[in-house]
Amino acid sequence: MPPKIASVASTKYDEHPDSSSRELFVEAAIDAFEETDLGPSDLDAVYVGNFMGDLIEDQGHMGALLADHVGAREVASIRIESACASGGATFRQAVHAVESGAADAVLAGGVEQMSIANIEHVTDALANAADDVYENEQGLTFPGIYALMARRYMHEFGARKEDLAAVSVKNHNNAVENPLAQFQKELTVDDVLASKPIATPLVLYDACPVSDGASVVIVVSEAFAADHSLDTSASVLGTGQSSDAVALQDRATITRTPAAERAAEEAYDEADTAPEDIDVVEVHDCFTIAEILALEALGFYGRGEGTRGAVDGETALDGKLPVNTSGGLLGKGHPVGVTGIGQIVELTKQIDGRHPNQVEGVNTALAHNVGGSGASTTVTILGGE
Amino acid sequence: MPKWFDSFTDTIESDEQQYLACETCGHGTLPPRRLCPACGSADLTREPLSKRGTVLSFTEISITIPKFHGETPYTVALVELDEEITLTGQLRDATADDIAIGDAVVLGTEPRDAGTAVLTFRPAEE
Ligand SMILES: [Zn+2]
Repeated sequence: MPPKIASVASTKYDEHPDSSSRELFVEAAIDAFEETDLGPSDLDAVYVGNFMGDLIEDQGHMGALLADHVGAREVASIRIESACASGGATFRQAVHAVESGAADAVLAGGVEQMSIANIEHVTDALANAADDVYENEQGLTFPGIYALMARRYMHEFGARKEDLAAVSVKNHNNAVENPLAQFQKELTVDDVLASKPIATPLVLYDACPVSDGASVVIVVSEAFAADHSLDTSASVLGTGQSSDAVALQDRATITRTPAAERAAEEAYDEADTAPEDIDVVEVHDCFTIAEILALEALGFYGRGEGTRGAVDGETALDGKLPVNTSGGLLGKGHPVGVTGIGQIVELTKQIDGRHPNQVEGVNTALAHNVGGSGASTTVTILGGE
Repeated sequence: MPKWFDSFTDTIESDEQQYLACETCGHGTLPPRRLCPACGSADLTREPLSKRGTVLSFTEISITIPKFHGETPYTVALVELDEEITLTGQLRDATADDIAIGDAVVLGTEPRDAGTAVLTFRPAEE
């Protein structure tokens, strides 16, 4: 019997310069408790996805700290870190804890406070997701890694900067209707192309912003949901996770993301489903090229064809496969260790029929969360009743 | 920087650079590996590594990390050496406008602070 999602909540993703990780996390947790009449005493464990608390806030040990702040001081707690896939990995561990019978109710949350540091410091912290010696010490930045992938992809498949920009335009436009999104402004392809270079061929609007925020999902067993008369709609049909070399230079190819392919295969198998069964998708678009590579890795497009999604409108809200209806990382924001949990929040709302960009008839939804430039990837498939 | 990387860059300066070849599956890798990342074998032997390679991809970086503060813009290239070993380093004697994917380049090093070095690539002479 698949685990159920009892409740979900997110803070707005934005710059919250006067806040802190503990405040943001608790804000999301209280909303999640209130949504379903569950409280801290119902929890068996608190899992926290967080990437840079120790680098930005000098705060490690986030598991126990945040369990305490959500009123569950004595439960099992742990911080789970897999770079930008910390949230997806946290959710998957919560699902496994419930599936194994070890826990009946797990609060799986994520939190990140990034904007309080200056841009070089944040770029430096993000670079911790790469190979320090072979990449960072050579002057490579995190955007630079995706830029290397983007240029190679454009070379191999004839993609243009305009094709990358179409992803940014779509996701920014989706963000406008999402009250929890960081950007509330429509963009055109020309706006994207006119933004300043960060790591050629990528420009500012090919990249997600620096964001603060928190998201929380309460995962419960079916028996717990029944005992507590919980009104749950979303079930976890399948999850997958895989790894790859951290350094881009150690990969067999830089225009594919094999860890995502493996994670997707595992999740599709467990859910007994296939790409053509998926109604709505949240993918990890930290850079425009990342969404294109994700759509190919997940089996929605063949190699070199992923640009079609945004360029031809196939992944638009009214397209055949809406992708990143939340605004994605590009428009909604990317508080790094939170994002994988935030995707589950958005997809649960789609399944519930209460998303600000509601897609008609959502029954099966997929989330794809990436750490580093593809060295950690989780894929989650949710289903309705 | 870890000692193993300083040793690696020292060998490039003295033209004695090596890589690790897997005796079991043939995969090539770089120090400080003890196990082959392709097959898990511990049977790795040191083989000579050339300095010539071709550009797989490159990027001109405008926003950097504190260690490279004030050095932007600079270009980082991903280069596959003749032994199918790929390395990341900074472009010298040329800008991003001067190179293309597939161009031949030569591996070198450049001293940085505290006795460590950064990997560099220069356009190859014909
Ligand atoms: Zn081997």
